[in-house]
Amino acid sequence: MSEKKYDAIIIGGGHNGLVCANIIAKKNKKVLICEARETCGGLANHEIINYIPSIPNSVTQSIGGLNLQYNPKGSIALSESGRHIRLIGNQHIDHATISNFSTQDADRYLEFDNKMTQFSKTLGGFMMDPPPRVMNNSFSDYLKLFKLGFNVRMMGKKRFNEFARMIGLNIADELEDNFESVLLQGLIAHDAVLGSNLGPRSPGSLINLLYRMAIHGNSLFGGIYEIEGGSNKFISVLLDKCSKNNVEIKTSASVKNCLIENDRAIGVELHNGEKVFGKTIISNADPRSTYSSLLGSQNLDTDVKRRIKHHRSKGRVAKLSLKLNKIPEFNECNNDDLNSRMVISPSIDYIEENFNPSKFDKLSSEPVLEICLKNNNENPSLDIQVQYAPYKAHGGWENIKDDYVNSIIKIISKYANNIENCIDSKTLITPDDLEKNYHVSGGHWHHGEIQIDQLFMLRPIPGAAQYKTHLDGLYMCGAGTHPGGGMHGISGKNAAKVVLGDL
Amino acid sequence: MAIDLRYSALKKTPFHSRTSLASRTNHWYTWNGFTVPTEYSTVELEYTAARNGTSVMDLTPMGKYEITGEEAHAFSDYLVTRDLSEMKDNTVAYIIWCNEDGKVIDDGTIFKYSSNKFMLCCAVKIYNWLNDSAEGFNVKIEDVTDTIAALSLQGPTSCSTLKNYGAIGLESLAPFEMKEFNIDGNNVLISRTGFTGDLGYELWIDPKNAEATWDAIFDAGKHLKIRPFGMNALEMTRIEAGFIQTNTDFMAAEDALRPVRMRSPYEIGMGWLVHFKKKNYFIGKKALKKEKEMGSTERCLVGLDIDGDKPAHGSVIYNSKKEDIGIVTAAMWSPTMKRNVALASLRRPYGIKIKDNIFAEIYHPEEIEYRKIWAKCKVVKRQFYSPERRNKVPADLYE
Repeated sequence: MSEKKYDAIIIGGGHNGLVCANIIAKKNKKVLICEARETCGGLANHEIINYIPSIPNSVTQSIGGLNLQYNPKGSIALSESGRHIRLIGNQHIDHATISNFSTQDADRYLEFDNKMTQFSKTLGGFMMDPPPRVMNNSFSDYLKLFKLGFNVRMMGKKRFNEFARMIGLNIADELEDNFESVLLQGLIAHDAVLGSNLGPRSPGSLINLLYRMAIHGNSLFGGIYEIEGGSNKFISVLLDKCSKNNVEIKTSASVKNCLIENDRAIGVELHNGEKVFGKTIISNADPRSTYSSLLGSQNLDTDVKRRIKHHRSKGRVAKLSLKLNKIPEFNECNNDDLNSRMVISPSIDYIEENFNPSKFDKLSSEPVLEICLKNNNENPSLDIQVQYAPYKAHGGWENIKDDYVNSIIKIISKYANNIENCIDSKTLITPDDLEKNYHVSGGHWHHGEIQIDQLFMLRPIPGAAQYKTHLDGLYMCGAGTHPGGGMHGISGKNAAKVVLGDL
Repeated sequence: MAIDLRYSALKKTPFHSRTSLASRTNHWYTWNGFTVPTEYSTVELEYTAARNGTSVMDLTPMGKYEITGEEAHAFSDYLVTRDLSEMKDNTVAYIIWCNEDGKVIDDGTIFKYSSNKFMLCCAVKIYNWLNDSAEGFNVKIEDVTDTIAALSLQGPTSCSTLKNYGAIGLESLAPFEMKEFNIDGNNVLISRTGFTGDLGYELWIDPKNAEATWDAIFDAGKHLKIRPFGMNALEMTRIEAGFIQTNTDFMAAEDALRPVRMRSPYEIGMGWLVHFKKKNYFIGKKALKKEKEMGSTERCLVGLDIDGDKPAHGSVIYNSKKEDIGIVTAAMWSPTMKRNVALASLRRPYGIKIKDNIFAEIYHPEEIEYRKIWAKCKVVKRQFYSPERRNKVPADLYE
């Protein structure tokens, strides 16, 4: 055995891995991060991510403060007619905005916002801590479950019934019941399905929205930020902390598998043959990679293999980056609008029709877009989240990528006539690319669908909640664990807490 | 949907033309989708053949799965709790396998042809379980239930019958060994295995030779008290031998509706088949190790020797304070041993530390009335019957 032994070896230097590393290292533990890519950060990268929620206090405090500047972003639902809807997450202003379209919608929006905020808070309280572990029979775990049940019940009978009604509901039904503006419906539905493998009419798309709200400050359209300096700034701040806390980082160090002795993880073997030993191993990789590759199918019970096989983690979002030589002129948009999150999702039906072909691994000619104009340096760009791009496209991505990019640009040109003349270069990152280049199996943003069967104590799979895997000494800290995806680092923080308790 | 009555939903085994001729009672049951005789004539006669002559049972419905590929040996070792790493070619091993909670799914036998080829036999269908378990192993699982016909020949004259039939040198085959014979130009695989606790063999043959083989064997054994043998007689012999039957003595973990009904190997007397010293992981190891370390085993499966001669079918077992401590899972009056025996699942420490002052409440049916009997029981070894000839090499021969 090597003379050097770490207290914790973290596999993957994504934001959760870095948060986790810092918290453990702060307790004078020796921590090593093995990152497969040349740089740390994983998906927390401006190539992938446009907007983030504000990092929760519990996370920033536990790593001794993060010096980040947040710029809040409004959302604008683009309309071909130029009658865009602009929402910023402030009830009075949003009410007034919507009144211009429909006074009925405006009042209903207040009600909807209040209701959703309350539900999101109820769930959100449950989201910050490690979830109870099912199949464990411990008193504190039951207590946690009881608390959630209690909180839900304390909303009062009417709200409780409403909550029960909505928890498995599709977002389309709820929006169509409430609003007459199809553009408003399209905007809210967009956020409900963003990053998921659901259409607005898929059951469970509503809880996806609640989940998004819980991360974004329990708000429908507030709590969306851009970090000054880009998403990479978040990572560079975390890396600074790492060097202060003496976290060792190996880059281009792809881990082949876990080393197991006496049914316990004792280290990792890298693809170059190097072996490193540690008291605990923490995987920031997605659950499927963690179980199938690191832990190895031969060390798993059949029931666990089945659960991992059923784990849903096919990504549906592609990222198109357009480098610009000048800023395109969007119809009826002022500078503030250009600085907002621009959403092309004109109606629920538009999204659903777009979702349909993706079920058959085919592409829609009219994708749903979330556009972010980056104009803070010499080379402006449009960074676009494109839905629904299948994980493995029918006919192979390499053959249809160009056509797809052109269809996206064609859609944008309906809202910005001169877009084609503004483009210098185009790069499309598909879910398939995410899997290959970022080592996320399935290419899913959140390392697994955010759905009722893959949330809380069921995330990522039953029996593996609380950041522990089925192998003693091997933990998980990535987005595949509770509370899941989103740029907030809670998974990393909670995992660190659990590991420190065991160290 | 209308049922097309021109076709039977039940499968017939390749021996069906012969078993149906032999049936005098028309008692059949379904086993894995096949129809096979429950008994041919009377259970007593069939039982007597197994203990004094040769009994012949159609085993074809038994689940048979071929495991082939580079990692067939490693996979088999991973699948079961027993250490198979040292298993030799052309041998058979009795095995159990568990789920992730360390609860027993089923028992069976595994045949090793070579390190690239194994065959697993068990009473129920487990293709899905095998296939899902095989993920991550370079193996292929194939259900060969329909492509291999199987016969079981058990009893003191079984070796002689098979020798007459053409299995030259069979007597030197040791228990749990197997060997391929060429008889009348056909390959016949014979293993010295069985479910009666006596001298006995199982034959694995090509279905197209099934009828000819049946005929030839009955010819070869006609002076050796040969008789076809059904499920009811098997139940008697297996109880005497102390063998367990899935879903009779314990609920298969995959079938049990109530989690508390699932049993670990330690609870059904199969602890001896759990080998933690195996080099590699096996399914259920984590849970079983925990159970062993915590000593959390709740029940045990024991043999009972019961006073009197009335079988204690389904009896509740009590301690001296008349507290319910378990249940009889299988019971019989043993004609060979003249003993009233039973298998019982008891709540520990009864059966392990406390073996005396145990009572069975027997309801003995007497022409539409029950006679209630309070019978004293003694905890004994589960293997009630094990004659010396069972393991003798060379096996006994009769003219």
